[in-house]
Amino acid sequence: MDFTFTEDQLLFCDSVKNFLQAEITPESLRASWDTDTGRSDELWQTIVELGLTAMLVPEAQGGLGMNELDFILLAQECGRVALAEALVETALVATPLLSALVDKDPRCASLLEKIASGEIRVAVGHPANELVSDAHVADWLLLPSGDQIHLLARDQVKLVTQHSVDPSRRLFTVEWKATDETCLAGGPEGVQLLAASLNRGALGCAAQLVGLAEAMVSLTVDYTADRHQFGKAIGTNQALKHHMANCAVKSEFAKAPLYRAAYTLSKAPQNADFAVSHAKVAAGEAALLAAKNAIQSFGAMGYTWECDLHIFMKRAWALDKFWGHTGFHKNRLHQWLMNPNAKIGADKTFGIQG
Amino acid sequence: MKLSFSPEDEQFRVEVAQWLQQNLTGEFEKLKFRGGPGDEHMFPHERQRWEQKLAEGGWTCIGWPQECGGRGCSIEQQVIFNEEYARAGAPGRAGHIGEGLAGPTIIAFGSDAQKQKYLPGIVAGTELWCQGYSEPGAGSDLANVKTRARFDEAKGKWLINGQKVWTSLAHESDYCFVIARTDPDSVAHKGLGFFLVKMAQPGVEVRGIQQITGTSEFNEVFFDNAECDAEDIVGEPGDGWKVAMGLLGFERGVSTLGQQMQFQNELNAVIREARANGADHNPVIRQRIARAHAELKIMRYNSMRMLSGQGGSDGSLQKEALIYKLFWATWHRSLGELAMDVLGPDSQILEDGPYQLTRLQSMYLFVRSDTIYGGTNEIQRNIIAERGLGMPKEPKVAVQ
Repeated sequence: MDFTFTEDQLLFCDSVKNFLQAEITPESLRASWDTDTGRSDELWQTIVELGLTAMLVPEAQGGLGMNELDFILLAQECGRVALAEALVETALVATPLLSALVDKDPRCASLLEKIASGEIRVAVGHPANELVSDAHVADWLLLPSGDQIHLLARDQVKLVTQHSVDPSRRLFTVEWKATDETCLAGGPEGVQLLAASLNRGALGCAAQLVGLAEAMVSLTVDYTADRHQFGKAIGTNQALKHHMANCAVKSEFAKAPLYRAAYTLSKAPQNADFAVSHAKVAAGEAALLAAKNAIQSFGAMGYTWECDLHIFMKRAWALDKFWGHTGFHKNRLHQWLMNPNAKIGADKTFGIQG
Repeated sequence: MKLSFSPEDEQFRVEVAQWLQQNLTGEFEKLKFRGGPGDEHMFPHERQRWEQKLAEGGWTCIGWPQECGGRGCSIEQQVIFNEEYARAGAPGRAGHIGEGLAGPTIIAFGSDAQKQKYLPGIVAGTELWCQGYSEPGAGSDLANVKTRARFDEAKGKWLINGQKVWTSLAHESDYCFVIARTDPDSVAHKGLGFFLVKMAQPGVEVRGIQQITGTSEFNEVFFDNAECDAEDIVGEPGDGWKVAMGLLGFERGVSTLGQQMQFQNELNAVIREARANGADHNPVIRQRIARAHAELKIMRYNSMRMLSGQGGSDGSLQKEALIYKLFWATWHRSLGELAMDVLGPDSQILEDGPYQLTRLQSMYLFVRSDTIYGGTNEIQRNIIAERGLGMPKEPKVAVQ
């Protein structure tokens, strides 16, 4: 048994982390709030050139043929910088969904090739969310209707903007019509694909939430070292140290279920419900506590628009409610645990589920 | 102990309710349930006109002594007034800083001339006040103020230089009470003065601070040789800290009653949302709503208990008052979290672009400041431990 990442996975993550931290700054995010799309085509092309959109695309379609476990650390880094571009959903949700249908419908293979090469972007709708994020910059949309999954070009749908509390997010209600031609899958297969998408979306959120939690703690630790009251740095006060210590414990402890969930999704996705919900709940709690304790430690500064903290807090509050809110995922945990056939016990720690 | 109101008090309740019903109409209709914390930027001028309407009916400063222009109401009557005021959905009081803080401070510590000059404008709702305490370097460490006041013999006035920050409603205010250092060589809480400063003058500049809500209620206030008349210092130079601390006592007194009714209105709104979207069937949400309700009741009981005891006449606090800020601020923050969890994913969608929050979103973001302003939760815990429990103070670092 080995619960660690490989040297290659860690090295790749480091290089992507460096890239993201150089390119995505609070200043660049703020500048994007005032633009029409809130997104940068140039940035997306750089992301494509780094191979990030191709990671989970099968090799046959020009991708790298990697899996969720290879991507999970990168998703965490996307959260750490509060990346607004929909990289995590593209890699973790759209790509695996299209890959699952690649033998069935020739359109999927073509789309995958173009995602890998950066020619197109694909947005994903799901009943768990009601709204579709980044639909305005997508060339194609994967949309659910009952047990079916449909593929529509952007000019086949009408987008209604829904303004978000997080100024970086771009959310839309999509008005569209399902036809036989747009349908990619349905019936039991559609149900199974939608369930898998929910798990992948929730996993991506959980990873970003852990990154956001750590980013907020890091900002706060720096601030409390600089800010002086009563003749000393406020970070010397136990009250504030304890706030940050509690956050550190939560986010560090959220990583184990997060990586566990990524592993299960890559090896046995049909059994991943419990692991994913566990990760989403733990990561959400870590991020929400970090937001609460960070703004508290920043004092009044943290409550201002000028202070960068709200960029991260608002993203955390938003992602906590996306791809299934905490209540939804807690219920999934309860339901699984109360099942008389649940495989629980010390010897089942790394079993199929649990 | 007696936990009911007398027939006279119940008669008073009818009188208040009728007056509000007859007067919170017409141009004031749109103010219903508006202008509370997090919403104070809304309708400032209409709310000041409402303040004057209240004054016409004799409903401002009802707890002040009659010789100061008040109504001399008992604690019971003030409780009743606040209950009826909130029940009617009457708006957040534009004059609350004057009525709740500046006025009582002037009554307790001010000269007769100051009382004559300033109290009538507060009672009439024509003059609004703001509070110049915090500075960039003096937040939790309030005594570390750097703003200076120097008496200019030639002009016969105090000249004030420095900067205040987080000054709520400074942009709407006519006067500001300012703590400033009268002795330039002094440190900490010694050598301070408490000044009543006119805002409309060349030496005062107000700049809004944009909050995470996208709106501005707080401000930075810059004093550049701002003038203050010789007779407008409260107490003597050097008394500033004593006066300021007395004022903080008023902040935790009767004004809490209106606040709790505001909380009740917010909790009711959360429950309405839960019923509307089915969240009330979720057992976890039900438990949290029940807890919120129970804790709000505790706050109310504690306030009644605190007010029955009345504390010192100088505004000094009893033990049960020490715990109040920590309790209500933390409760209110949890209510914000509960509201968002009740709304689920909808909680993230704005009422409208570019950044128009719904009332509950606005509440959720604003309550983040509750556990910070007026003494952070951490400072409150220190106060409870040191003053309430008598635990030893942390050794102070020598201030250079």
